[in-house]
Amino acid sequence: MAEKFHAELKTTKKETVAMALFAREMLRTAVDSLIQQDRDLAVSVVARKEKLHEMEVRLEEQCYHLIATGQPMAKDMRVIACSLKVINASMRIGRYGKVIANIVKEISDKPHIARMMSIPHMAELTIDMVDDAIKAYETDSVALISDFSARDDTIDALRHSIFREGITYMMEDPKTITRCTHYIMVARYLERCADHACKIAENVHYMSTGERIEIH
Amino acid sequence: MSDNTIISTNNLNLWYNEKHALESVSMKIPKNRVTALIGPSGCGKSTLLRCFNRLNDLIDHVKITGEILLDDENIQGQETDVVHLRKKVGMVFQKPNPFPKSIYENIAFGPRVHGIKDKAELDRIVEQSLRHAAIWDEVKDRLNDSALGLSGGQQQRLCIARTLAVEPEVILMDEPCSALDPIATAKIENLIDMLKVEYTVIIVTHNMQQAARVSDYTGFMYLGRLIECGKTADIFEHPKEELTENYITGRFG
Repeated sequence: MAEKFHAELKTTKKETVAMALFAREMLRTAVDSLIQQDRDLAVSVVARKEKLHEMEVRLEEQCYHLIATGQPMAKDMRVIACSLKVINASMRIGRYGKVIANIVKEISDKPHIARMMSIPHMAELTIDMVDDAIKAYETDSVALISDFSARDDTIDALRHSIFREGITYMMEDPKTITRCTHYIMVARYLERCADHACKIAENVHYMSTGERIEIH
Repeated sequence: MSDNTIISTNNLNLWYNEKHALESVSMKIPKNRVTALIGPSGCGKSTLLRCFNRLNDLIDHVKITGEILLDDENIQGQETDVVHLRKKVGMVFQKPNPFPKSIYENIAFGPRVHGIKDKAELDRIVEQSLRHAAIWDEVKDRLNDSALGLSGGQQQRLCIARTLAVEPEVILMDEPCSALDPIATAKIENLIDMLKVEYTVIIVTHNMQQAARVSDYTGFMYLGRLIECGKTADIFEHPKEELTENYITGRFG
């Protein structure tokens, strides 16, 4: 029975990685659609939310099934606990992708202001963090997440800078208020995605070592 | 582990003829706590348990070296009164083994052996022991019925009551639930949790979930050695040793 349990656990972890990559792709495509002002691409992101939700429910149920039938201990227990957190964080990251895509539908008809300030750069750094968090979970490697605290600080600083810059543009020209408010919101969503990558990283650390850490 | 140690072993070795069944076991058992010993069959956990009340004395060709201290006194010495030791360190076995006597007589037997003859005092001990073993309400109206008429779970709680009747300090349990159904098992587990207020419990179990549920400390044994011993939450959430990890996640054993 232990072999069957471990085979099921392996499959669940593999499918959780697939869900995390699916959510990551929603975020990536949403950012691309924003940069390229591509409304159709944005619409395609919004359409993926159903599948994301279906994956969340199915994988959570698989985890609960493993707990109920396998009564896991030690590393097995920690892998399931971490997987549940990855599922939750992926759901949130995918949803932020959808929310950003909805903004694209609102603002894709007019050119960007100030080349969207630092948003494209911030998006790259955020998606890199999401990638590394997923990879760390998949490969059970804490090395990939060792610098997450510093990377998260950079993301926070970028969000703050976009906020201040946005305020300046809005004060100069009130006609930019709608667009700049959307930029500020996008920066906020990207920062939240980086926070979810940090949450995954904290749980990967627990999964891998049994010790809890907090990434500030 | 806690400083409040009731039993400690120091470099304990045991041989059955040529077979080295316990190898340099050093551990501390904290007072008023439940300590579980886990490990695959033949790892020495029952042998170690039986060292604590010298039940291995009954087996021929056993050689023991090292120390076992109970309340700071070495119980391995020739001057140790084994009858007195087994009063202080009671034992409950895998299969319930009540005497073929009445429920009352099962409990009164031990105190009588230790010299208590007063009927009122015996009545008090019988009631208190049955109450502590959470079986009083089920048997109070049939104390003179045969103990063999009780269910398996009731018989096991009766055996625990019989152990309590001589006021031990430590109760050893060797797979106490392996012959019981889940409901009777749950009752014994609840009982173990209550018993630790007054007694120290050491339990050998094959059921890791049971060890995780009932114990405060867990020792994992493998091939006669104590591989790892620590707080139960630590052992089951993040064991330090790979062998422990592999055993509790079902990769062997």
